[in-house]
Amino acid sequence: MRLVTLIIFVLGTWAHAQDKPVKSDSLDVVLDEVLIVAAKKAKIETDMKMAVSVDEFLASSESISFIKRGAYAWEPLLNNMSSERSIITIDGMHIFGACTDKMDPVTAYVESNNLSEIDIKSGQEGGLQGATVAGSIDLKRKSSAFGRANIWDAAYQTGFEFNNKQFFNLANASYSSDKLVVDASMSHRKADDYFDGNNDEVDHSQFTKFNTSLGVAYKTSDLSSLRVDAIFDKAQDVGYPALPMDLSLSRALITSATYKQFFENKLLKVWDSKVYYNAIEHYMDDTTRPENLVHMDMPGWSTTYGLVSKANLKSANYSAEIQLNAYDNLSIAEMRMYPQDRSEQTMFAYSWPWVTTRYAGLSMSNALDVSSSSVLNFGGTMGVNYNYSKYIEFNRIFHPGASQEKTRFLPSLYASYQWYPGKFDVSVGTGYGHRAPSVSEGYGYYIYNSFDRYDYIGDPDLENEISYEVNASVGFTHNKGHVKAKVNYFYIQNYIIGRILSAGSPMNYQSVGVKGYTSLDYATLFNFSLQADYHLLHNLHWNGTLTYARGLDDNQNNLPFIRPLSYQTALHYRFGDFRFQAELNGDAMQVNYSPEYGEDETPSYTNLNVSADYSFYISNYKTVVQIGAENVFNTYYSTYADWGNIPRMGRNFFTSLKINL
Amino acid sequence: MKYSNYLLLAISVVAVSCTVEKTDYEAEIATDTTEYFDFEEVSTINTGDYNLTIEALNGTLYKGYNEIHVTLEHAQSQEELSNAAVTFLPILTDANGKQSSCPHDYQLTYDTANGYYVGYAVFTDITSSTAGWELFMEVTLSGEIQAVSQTITVEEQVNKNLNMTAFTGNDNVQYFIALVAPQRPDVAENHLVAGVYKYIEPTQVAGDFPDPSQFIYAVVNDHTLLLDPRMPEPSMGNHSSPNNEDLTQQNDGLYHGVVNYTMTGNWTLNFIFQDAQGNTIKGTEVPTDFTPGIEGVKSELYIDILF
Ligand SMILES: [Cu+2]
Repeated sequence: MRLVTLIIFVLGTWAHAQDKPVKSDSLDVVLDEVLIVAAKKAKIETDMKMAVSVDEFLASSESISFIKRGAYAWEPLLNNMSSERSIITIDGMHIFGACTDKMDPVTAYVESNNLSEIDIKSGQEGGLQGATVAGSIDLKRKSSAFGRANIWDAAYQTGFEFNNKQFFNLANASYSSDKLVVDASMSHRKADDYFDGNNDEVDHSQFTKFNTSLGVAYKTSDLSSLRVDAIFDKAQDVGYPALPMDLSLSRALITSATYKQFFENKLLKVWDSKVYYNAIEHYMDDTTRPENLVHMDMPGWSTTYGLVSKANLKSANYSAEIQLNAYDNLSIAEMRMYPQDRSEQTMFAYSWPWVTTRYAGLSMSNALDVSSSSVLNFGGTMGVNYNYSKYIEFNRIFHPGASQEKTRFLPSLYASYQWYPGKFDVSVGTGYGHRAPSVSEGYGYYIYNSFDRYDYIGDPDLENEISYEVNASVGFTHNKGHVKAKVNYFYIQNYIIGRILSAGSPMNYQSVGVKGYTSLDYATLFNFSLQADYHLLHNLHWNGTLTYARGLDDNQNNLPFIRPLSYQTALHYRFGDFRFQAELNGDAMQVNYSPEYGEDETPSYTNLNVSADYSFYISNYKTVVQIGAENVFNTYYSTYADWGNIPRMGRNFFTSLKINL
Repeated sequence: MKYSNYLLLAISVVAVSCTVEKTDYEAEIATDTTEYFDFEEVSTINTGDYNLTIEALNGTLYKGYNEIHVTLEHAQSQEELSNAAVTFLPILTDANGKQSSCPHDYQLTYDTANGYYVGYAVFTDITSSTAGWELFMEVTLSGEIQAVSQTITVEEQVNKNLNMTAFTGNDNVQYFIALVAPQRPDVAENHLVAGVYKYIEPTQVAGDFPDPSQFIYAVVNDHTLLLDPRMPEPSMGNHSSPNNEDLTQQNDGLYHGVVNYTMTGNWTLNFIFQDAQGNTIKGTEVPTDFTPGIEGVKSELYIDILF
């Protein structure tokens, strides 16, 4: 139990092993010694629903909330902080969305059937992979172990969601021999507009997504392997009901080559190096919105090259990971407005004027067993962040003399102490870290925010955001259940947020003014969560979660997008090959809202979800069918983080089938 | 395995090429604006003893502001002469035979560093089938005057960033404002340069044509051009830009200021023209509201640009 709770190493590729590999291989033997795997959900599915999108899966974490601009590609908020403040990676690879309007968080470029798990770290503990304030979310791809007992393994899932007529097909297959491993997946989802709790169609909420991935690993020696991976993702005709534009096409190619070397009987156990390349293109489309006064083209591109190299050390009571991270990203976004008289000349500007970001960081995390029932974790990162804006003249319009090049040093430190007295587990921790402004915060140019209806202007010379963090948790484990409370508190100096500028006038016709990204003296954020689960009977299980958060700026005004008191409670009942689940979740009324940032008071809501599934065998192939309903009472609601108060989906019946081949 | 190789190959091919090409921003601005750096010969006039070579940017005289370079050489020895007095007077004859001029530098000054006489002319009209320009020049050397005239062609300025305007101020004086720079604006902070001139009513009766005393223009000194740039296109809703600076006169006699263009396209430079005491001679304040769908209201005094 203690080992399970220790979150120390995440050595991706073997860790998940969701198909219960027989660890006969020498690599795996080494790994058994090295790996202490965290208690993670081994499968990308929630208690309620077995065929979930990546977003739905993430939503099951108590530290993640979402800004939703429609039915597709929700922006994950970690610790109630927007995505600039967290590091989202795929197998440690940095990827940056190509949309100025945040239509494409990194999580939009993967699919549940090419992931094995999602590793969420809070605060500076997530600083290993890059500078962060909120923490890190690492999406781990599937990667089978060498020499698995069953050489072939495959699964197929299909399903239909009635509310928005979403039809999806997900297939994945893997081959594993002593020398060669191949993992492949393919998926397709297509959905129409969804209907809200008043049975009104929410226009522009359709989507189509195709995703495929391939990984090939070759064992180059007894103790080394080489693996190449690629993900190709294509989203087409995606509606964003909360935005004035939709997406006609978004494509991502995510590639990497990884070399791993294992070492036996030494302090150094494994050295793992990866080079990667990813390219994203993103084309917004407003021809679907004839009501728009101005027709605009807004294409965006984001290209990243990078390197991650990490070494894992382990001795009897000490383990460590050293990681070198480097990447180069070029973000480009254009804006072309067409005059009403189309024979006239078009109007052009860059919303991201060819912004290069280079980062290199060396980090180390350590875990020291202080006693048989306590562990000290500590670590830190020294990062260097470099920005270059090719067309700095755009940025200089609002910030005359702004630096074209900017180098920042981004240190990070953390420490935590975990103690396991009897049935309790207690931890206290602290962290300190800097982050650089994002491309939009630093170099964004007239990026229209349809939430508060301001055009946003970046400032290349913003100060680093500096986070001071404390966290604590206490848990109690009983043979029938478990309860855990967690708190964290962030004091964030130079907190970056948009403030109304007196200069300039809007460019986008829906806009009411211009805001510039500026640094507040500080802001504070407090997060609390309480989780419990209990086995009422051997086949009846209950769990519940309560979260509360508060965010304040330096004038003690509310920060935006802070989740109000929220709760979730669920019952799971197993009867033979049947399972039944019922879940109640909701938010209390949002009283601490921020009118300054376009928020209004959001009423409370409660949702009931139910589902049932049945497992059986079709000629030795395990098959599960599931039916269920979300928002059973067809409640009309929108949450505090629904962009422009767009209503959420009304009652949704869903059904899915999964066959393990 | 084969399948996976093919898949990988297919994926790479599909995704390496972008669906939409990126805008070649610099090339796009360059095609919408023509920028000239080189002074080329417009024409050469022979006065008998001397050859006068007139040079302007691109070898062409355009409506609006033109910097004029004149080299003077001895016709026989081809020796360049630097100590002459050279005058320059363009005259427009319209369809009715009425003669007028335009703001110009009558007495050219010798630029020792570059070896030519320098001046300017702000042509107010193009050469057309009904109106034509003639250039009258005099060279005075050692007390000896040689006069010469030559028909010149003034062409439409295709660069929309070098427009001009002529107007009568509240003081009943005729003024001219001509844009000098930038020839090629950027979406950036641009150094804006304009020439401001006025016509001086003759105080004496006209003598023999061409009598320069009837065609006197002068640089307007110590006035101010208050600047409010806006995009007039209705969908732009009277959009403006921050951090602009009004135009004031500098040592070169021209008026310098700063204009920020936030995007390419049509812009209107709205001016309020004030004298040294702050009295408005021409121009009105424009609305500052953001009014999407409504074409921007222009000042009484404005110049349009396009890039
Ligand atoms: Cu977008």
